[in-house]
Amino acid sequence: MFRPLSTLAVALSLMLTAQAEARPLVLAIGGEPDAGFDPIMGWGHYGNPLFQSTLLRTDADLNLVGDLATDWALSEDGLVWRLRLRKDAMFSDGTPLTAKDVAFTYNTARTAGGLADLTVLKEARALDATTVELELTEPRITFVSRLATLGIVPAASYGEGYARHPVGSGPFRMVEWREGEQLVVEPNPHWHGGEIAFERVSFIFGSEEAGQALARTGAADLVAVPPSLADGAPSGMKVLHVDTVDNRGLAFPMVPRAGETTEAGTPIGNDVTADPAIRVAINQALDREALVALALNGHGRPATGPADGLPWDNPEAAIPGNDPATAMQTLDAAGWSDTDGDGIREKDGLPARFQVLYPASDSTRQALALGASEQLREIGIDAQPTGSSWDEIGALMHSEVVVLGWGAHDPSEVFYLHHGDYAGVDYYNTGHYVNPTVDAHLEAAEAAPSFEASLAEWKAAAWDGETGFGPKGDATWAWMVNLEHAYWASDCLDLGPLQVHPHGHGFPITHDLPSWRWTCE
Amino acid sequence: MTDATELTVTLPARSRKIPRQRAKWHGAVALVLLGAVLAGSALLPDGALSVNAAARALPPQPGHLLGTDMLGRDIAARTLAALAQSVQVGLLAAGASTLVAVVLGLAATFGRLADHAVGVLTELALGLPHFVLLIMIAFAMGGGTTGVVVAVALTHWPRLSRVLRHEAQTIAASDYVAISRALGRSRLWVARHHLVPHLVPQILAGFIVIFPHAILHEAGLSFIGLGIEPHLPSIGVMLSESLREIMAGHWWVAAAPGLGLMLVALAFEQFGEALRRLSDPAGGIA
Repeated sequence: MFRPLSTLAVALSLMLTAQAEARPLVLAIGGEPDAGFDPIMGWGHYGNPLFQSTLLRTDADLNLVGDLATDWALSEDGLVWRLRLRKDAMFSDGTPLTAKDVAFTYNTARTAGGLADLTVLKEARALDATTVELELTEPRITFVSRLATLGIVPAASYGEGYARHPVGSGPFRMVEWREGEQLVVEPNPHWHGGEIAFERVSFIFGSEEAGQALARTGAADLVAVPPSLADGAPSGMKVLHVDTVDNRGLAFPMVPRAGETTEAGTPIGNDVTADPAIRVAINQALDREALVALALNGHGRPATGPADGLPWDNPEAAIPGNDPATAMQTLDAAGWSDTDGDGIREKDGLPARFQVLYPASDSTRQALALGASEQLREIGIDAQPTGSSWDEIGALMHSEVVVLGWGAHDPSEVFYLHHGDYAGVDYYNTGHYVNPTVDAHLEAAEAAPSFEASLAEWKAAAWDGETGFGPKGDATWAWMVNLEHAYWASDCLDLGPLQVHPHGHGFPITHDLPSWRWTCE
Repeated sequence: MTDATELTVTLPARSRKIPRQRAKWHGAVALVLLGAVLAGSALLPDGALSVNAAARALPPQPGHLLGTDMLGRDIAARTLAALAQSVQVGLLAAGASTLVAVVLGLAATFGRLADHAVGVLTELALGLPHFVLLIMIAFAMGGGTTGVVVAVALTHWPRLSRVLRHEAQTIAASDYVAISRALGRSRLWVARHHLVPHLVPQILAGFIVIFPHAILHEAGLSFIGLGIEPHLPSIGVMLSESLREIMAGHWWVAAAPGLGLMLVALAFEQFGEALRRLSDPAGGIA
């Protein structure tokens, strides 16, 4: 929702404070968490929790390096992680961070059931002040990425209201958070990571348009912009295009409508998309290059799987697409034909028709829904774009097609998206897909003795020559594009080397915020 | 109403021909515009509203007389379809609103208690800020076209209802109504046969005055994201999209829908105003 008044107020207040003291760093990159800044409830779930620090972290090349931990090792049987902590880590309230806080955080997160999935953790134990042991119930090779994303909270003061007033050992501490408007932070004087070049950092929240307006008035130093508009940066700012694994695709309901409902009472299943021929034909028909041109202004690349280009991706599973002729053959062979001459195919009286839901506030997903819908009309499938709120999408995503997006730095997401145990859990496996062979490959990957050894199983889950979740197999998704995240950044701001970004346009860019510098006076 | 009595005294001196001529002219302009919009949108060729990656953000030129937007959709076609959509929503919402006003206006003649209730309800609805109420209702209905129609229908009746109530009471107090009642006619029969025929001019003028308001408010709600879905052609949505494009210098994206909306709203505003003067020279309906 566009809030011109509040944007104006924020802009004015920024200009006023600018005269009084040194100019703070102002970011309009979105990413405001609904649930606040509690890592146990999912804050920082893609890494980089800002107020808290993590045991490990990833560097610009996605290698794991120590943050709170100085050294770490996994036992032979793959069940016990033992980590040694640095001695100089302190929370922003001045109390020291010990192994007890780490054990408390992991044990609490395990039972809290937030987005930080720790179901595989048996117990976290503090052996002494600086040594912590994490014991797993079964080998889980992707557990290491939890170590790089879960922010540590203080055992002594964690409790109700923490999400609004976080205390952590991260680079920043909170000054003020006005929900929906702005978050102001300042460097945490007790942080172990060194000097930060900014006295204050303000995060301005609001619509895409509001952020661009701030950039044009010179009130913001870094703004996330939709790729379609990135090329028109205002003077004094440069365009940054950051490569990502942030993808968008069509998530299909995989089961027929049999009257089943979720716990919330929303319907499950869709008779049209439950037919594999429909899903495969869509994968064959989509012209992904055209979608990149239309929705991303060319700033992106076609997507054919959930982790394109990452080590656990299986290119064998992909269908390149842009082949409407083959798609129509697939549909013909499966008995879908246009018998009544309205341009839409039918099978046993059932028209090939479904909604394509997209969040009304997201112009990129809207463009993708529109573009895909028009391409599918050409092969006789009536995909109807429907703009909704996230609440409505949550209610309909098990029975209609949704433009969803994922993309993470670790393969556990592949597990969540396709394993039968995650059917209907959050936004994971929305289609209620269950394939025992795929489940077995995914489980084998997690149980692998090393990350390298797990790669073959991840790939086999997508396509093992006979089946898989990929387009060649069950075609659980029709992936469309991988985004490039576009930003306008002040010419005076040096951001250093940038990571390949995960899902989430905006906040991931702050991964190395502590090392940013002003380059002009 | 002392001012009004003064005015009615001066009126016979003026010819009633001029307002009638004006109303005719305004009516003709408004109806031609309405017909052009509806016919034009119905005649749009297939695919006129499609996205086209090869024709993104083109300025006005032959082939795209009013340019294209960021998704390569022709602005002229989209504006026409959006105006037709607005007009339909406006007709529906204004019709529903008028119906509410008529029912309440007539209800006021059904005894003192009913009159009092209608009075309180009207004053209450008038006292609430218009747009805030619109937003609340549209939000509660979950947005969408239905939300807009219900919101506009539930917020635009009070002024017309007040006028109708006053008129209905005046008629209800007249001798022939009293005779009719004495002859044993029910209140409903009286409302149907004596009140409604006399109120037709006010109802008609009221409807036409509400209509442009309904269109504008539909655009307003869609603009802030509570109305029609963003991929459907709607003036409010187009204007809201144009916000970020206008910053990139694409003025034509805002020009066509903005001017189109203004033209249609203005034509009906003028028509309604002319009709109102005709049916109620002393003034009354806002």
